[in-house]
Amino acid sequence: MSRWGMVADLRRCVGCQTCSSACRHANATPPGVMWRRVVDMEAGDYPDVRRAFVPVGCNHCDDPPCTKACPSTATKKRADGIVTQDYDVCIGCGYCILACPYQARGKIAEPVAAYAEHGRIASEEARFDPRTIGVAQKCTFCVDRIDEGLAQGLTPGVDPEASPACVNACLARALTFGDLDDPVSTVSVLLARTPSFRMHEDLGTGPNIHYLWDHGT
Amino acid sequence: MGDRVTNVRRVPTYCYQCVAGPDLLTVKVEDGVATEVEPNFKAADIHPAEGKVCVKAFGLVQKTYNPHRILTPMKRTNPKKGKGEDPGFVPVSWDEALDLIAAKLMEVRAKGLLDDSGFPRVAASFGGGGTPMSYMGTLPAFLASWGPIDFSYGSGQGVKCTHSEHLYGELWHRAFTVCPDTPNNRYVVSFGANTEAAAGVCGVYRHAEARGRGAKRVQVEPHLSVTGACSAEWIPIKPQTDAAFLFAMIHVLLHERRLDELDAPFLANHTSSPYLVGPNGFFLRDPHSRKPLVWDTGQDKAVAFDTPGIAPALEGRFRVAALEVGADDDHWSHADVVGVTSHTMLVEHVRSYTPDWAAGLCDVPAAKIRKVANEFLDHACVGDTMEVEGRTLPFRPVSISLGKSVNNGWGGYECCWARTLLACLVGGLEVPGGMLGTTVRLNRPATNRLDSVRPGEDGFMAFPWNETDREKWTSRPTGRNGHRMLVPLAANSPWSQALGPTHLAWAFMRDKPEHWPEATAPDVWIVYRTNPAISFWDTAAVTDTMARFPFVACFAYTMDETNHMADVLLPDCTDLEGLQLIRIGGTKFVEQFWDHQGFALRQPVVEPKGETRDFTWISTQLAKRTGLLEKYNAAINRGAAGIGLVGKAFDFSLDVTREHSVEEIWDANCRAASAEIGGEPRDLGWFKENGFLVTSFPRLDWYLFPTLVDQGLRFELPYQERLARVGTQLGNRLHESGIDWWDTQLAEYQALPKWKDFPGIWEKVLVKHGHRPEDFPFWLLTSRSMQYSWGGNVGVQIIREMAENIAGHNGVIMNAATARGMGIADGDTVEVASHINKVQGRVVLRQGIRPDTLLMIGQFGHWKTPFAKDFDTPSMNSLTPMDLDLTDATGSGADVVRVSIRRVGGPR
Repeated sequence: MSRWGMVADLRRCVGCQTCSSACRHANATPPGVMWRRVVDMEAGDYPDVRRAFVPVGCNHCDDPPCTKACPSTATKKRADGIVTQDYDVCIGCGYCILACPYQARGKIAEPVAAYAEHGRIASEEARFDPRTIGVAQKCTFCVDRIDEGLAQGLTPGVDPEASPACVNACLARALTFGDLDDPVSTVSVLLARTPSFRMHEDLGTGPNIHYLWDHGT
Repeated sequence: MGDRVTNVRRVPTYCYQCVAGPDLLTVKVEDGVATEVEPNFKAADIHPAEGKVCVKAFGLVQKTYNPHRILTPMKRTNPKKGKGEDPGFVPVSWDEALDLIAAKLMEVRAKGLLDDSGFPRVAASFGGGGTPMSYMGTLPAFLASWGPIDFSYGSGQGVKCTHSEHLYGELWHRAFTVCPDTPNNRYVVSFGANTEAAAGVCGVYRHAEARGRGAKRVQVEPHLSVTGACSAEWIPIKPQTDAAFLFAMIHVLLHERRLDELDAPFLANHTSSPYLVGPNGFFLRDPHSRKPLVWDTGQDKAVAFDTPGIAPALEGRFRVAALEVGADDDHWSHADVVGVTSHTMLVEHVRSYTPDWAAGLCDVPAAKIRKVANEFLDHACVGDTMEVEGRTLPFRPVSISLGKSVNNGWGGYECCWARTLLACLVGGLEVPGGMLGTTVRLNRPATNRLDSVRPGEDGFMAFPWNETDREKWTSRPTGRNGHRMLVPLAANSPWSQALGPTHLAWAFMRDKPEHWPEATAPDVWIVYRTNPAISFWDTAAVTDTMARFPFVACFAYTMDETNHMADVLLPDCTDLEGLQLIRIGGTKFVEQFWDHQGFALRQPVVEPKGETRDFTWISTQLAKRTGLLEKYNAAINRGAAGIGLVGKAFDFSLDVTREHSVEEIWDANCRAASAEIGGEPRDLGWFKENGFLVTSFPRLDWYLFPTLVDQGLRFELPYQERLARVGTQLGNRLHESGIDWWDTQLAEYQALPKWKDFPGIWEKVLVKHGHRPEDFPFWLLTSRSMQYSWGGNVGVQIIREMAENIAGHNGVIMNAATARGMGIADGDTVEVASHINKVQGRVVLRQGIRPDTLLMIGQFGHWKTPFAKDFDTPSMNSLTPMDLDLTDATGSGADVVRVSIRRVGGPR
């Protein structure tokens, strides 16, 4: 069985937000809902300053706090590691949002449109899904693409049709996706040869976004 | 949601919203509605960045369905124009709108195409970097059929572009813009070049790959930009002192390192370094052939530079008999005179420009400047070679990049000269790994810059100067910015007007200088994909000036600050609705270096909204209604729409006597394009299905050096003899015409440029206008935004959403410690004032900015554009004065201004 994970190379990321916009397109999320976004961070004091761009989103944790907090079983972890969200089951209590240490989950109470005073534009109307209102939502690793791609014999992380939209869109090849249990997958090779860290690793959640960062080592 | 979709297509097209394009993409269309943008994965193998697509392209879906779009032609009903006037636009039919414009145009033809001042009665302004060309269909054919048109009115050129590089770069190495040979480069010193924000998909990809293999970039700039964040080191230099840093780097190489550590053979054989200079500052020449002399160490005598088999001396002083030719009629016959090699002149010129000298000016430690200079040389691999397609070339993996405000206005010449010279000192100009030009816009042909290389005077490449000798000088401006008269380097290509001093066209309408024709307004001003009321200097003055134009026709997407002054609005099909074929591949700015070349199609991904019309249809209608259809069709046949329809082995020309449909025109272009690259003719249907067609492009054509070697030519560095002569002659001509208001600019024409007090220029301007410099203690800068630059996309919601993830898109960036000292907290409302205007906004406190510097990203300050007018984000453009004192010899100005800042309230 595969174990899907993502690698974000902080030496490559330029903070362009192309991944964020590709995610908004692929998943038809409304304005303000970015399952993938890139944080613009500064460290140090002038003139000894570092600025870095850090892609964030659901870490599809090995031991996800959200699934434990979820009273309705809407949030589950698949055998391949992907943490899913079932809109039809979710009761919108928001416990998972509070439980997630990565601030990767959100909920919108009312439909949101790009140009609110004009209602939904044609592209929003075509893909509006009322099930997403009032329930928790988050990054799915583009699970539909992965499942459909696998069904066609494609390889997630290699074939774009089977890979997350943010990875496909990344201009800098900063985002890489693949099977962490496959020692020859691109993600495994990158992690084997480059120092990396995971966010809030000390919390024991087993996050599956790995950040490459060898500066200062 | 997917259950109810019955028809899903993925349509290939391109995005060329910014100068770093085009990007190839597909758009998912569900039941006729565009929903999703993706990279065109089929282009992964032929595109320099795996066919990736910039963030701006993801705004195209919302751009199409933006409810604020203008969807029907409109005409103005309120004859009064101004920011405070309601235009009273009312919908009209296309017939009425086109008749209105055609009537005005026919009036012009009846009166004569030029007015009493000699200026074209029709003017046109288009947006940044030529990007509108990829959206305006056959409008260039209409413009070509019309006759003289004034493209003088700038909308950002000169102050928002790398203007000095455009002009000097083309002179020295056919480099409209310059970039590293990034795939082979190992060390870049970047003076504010915001590559990761402004070099598009190819720039981001190529530099990420370079970092991945260990290349180092040192970013020298007053604020820590996106690019600085992605660099190995940030050096916060004081604004406008970059030339001093660069001069000190030259000093280190020439005075602290040995000549044999530099690429002496390159200097001796491929530059003018051995040319002997006479006592009057001009080359010493053979009296008979008039060719520049060098000292042949083999024969121990002076010989013409191109004498076969010689070994020219790089250094030294030599006694020779020679002719020295100056400006106009000046010439001196020397029976026995000391000639100094250009290289020795250079060495002596930079003797005092030590790192310690520069340190005080730049506020950068001397040791750091010295370290960068030494690293530059140590990474240059002098002596190494690389084989490219069977040819052995020097391999010099070092380069220097210059950002916008280093690369225009005062100091731009000095910075461009120094950086190009540094490349020469290590033999790294136009060779693998080194510093490359991208394309040409002043020289011709534009399709491949190597084809523009022809032998010129003195062993250098020919350059299409605007002549300055008495017989050929253009003594009256042919357009309102006087590019042919004032700026010899601007040449006279189709791009040249827009590369002249374009702010002067605006400024002279308010304050005409002596001995200049009356600054008349154009009878008709056509505007497309540009908004100078927001994007130029001193936007309040520009806005007031355009309100005086009698008839303005704007192609309009939404209402904006410029088309607020329009008489007619024409809603064209926008990016995902129109049809056009463009060239792709080869080499092109900003970092587009392909191994392929060919063509890509933009096609109607979805049905046009409302009454919008394809640009080619609009152009044809204008041609028809002005009686120019035959000339217009002939221009299309000649290639005015991008591709010549008649070639050696094909003829897809249109019948010039009749009107053709949009599809007919582009079908002919598709067939000609595919035939041009030697393939089977492909029709429009084929391109609609496949999106693009390419053939190979030689990697060797990335580099200019082999072409110069093959033609026996040299780079025109270090000594700018020709430039000095041109400057003197230009001064003579202007003075003969009574013009002395360009004298300050004439001082830029120096054979070896000296350091001037560039920061002090701004202080002098303040004093001249009755202010105290200490009252405006901050430097206000701007920085490109990848999300917005050139895009004309401020009205697109998703772009705003993405941009807000990058610090500073919603306010004024200020050093946190400085702010603390002034009692300013993050998010407070501040007022930023220059001596001409003031703006308010929220402050964004950061560590990555000098204490004496403020930063306003992008260009906002909208008051009319829907959605954007609610941003509440200030722009520096309304604070920057349009001042002749801030205008350099190329007609550009640095995008900086001295300001004050004070807290006026809490969070907004």
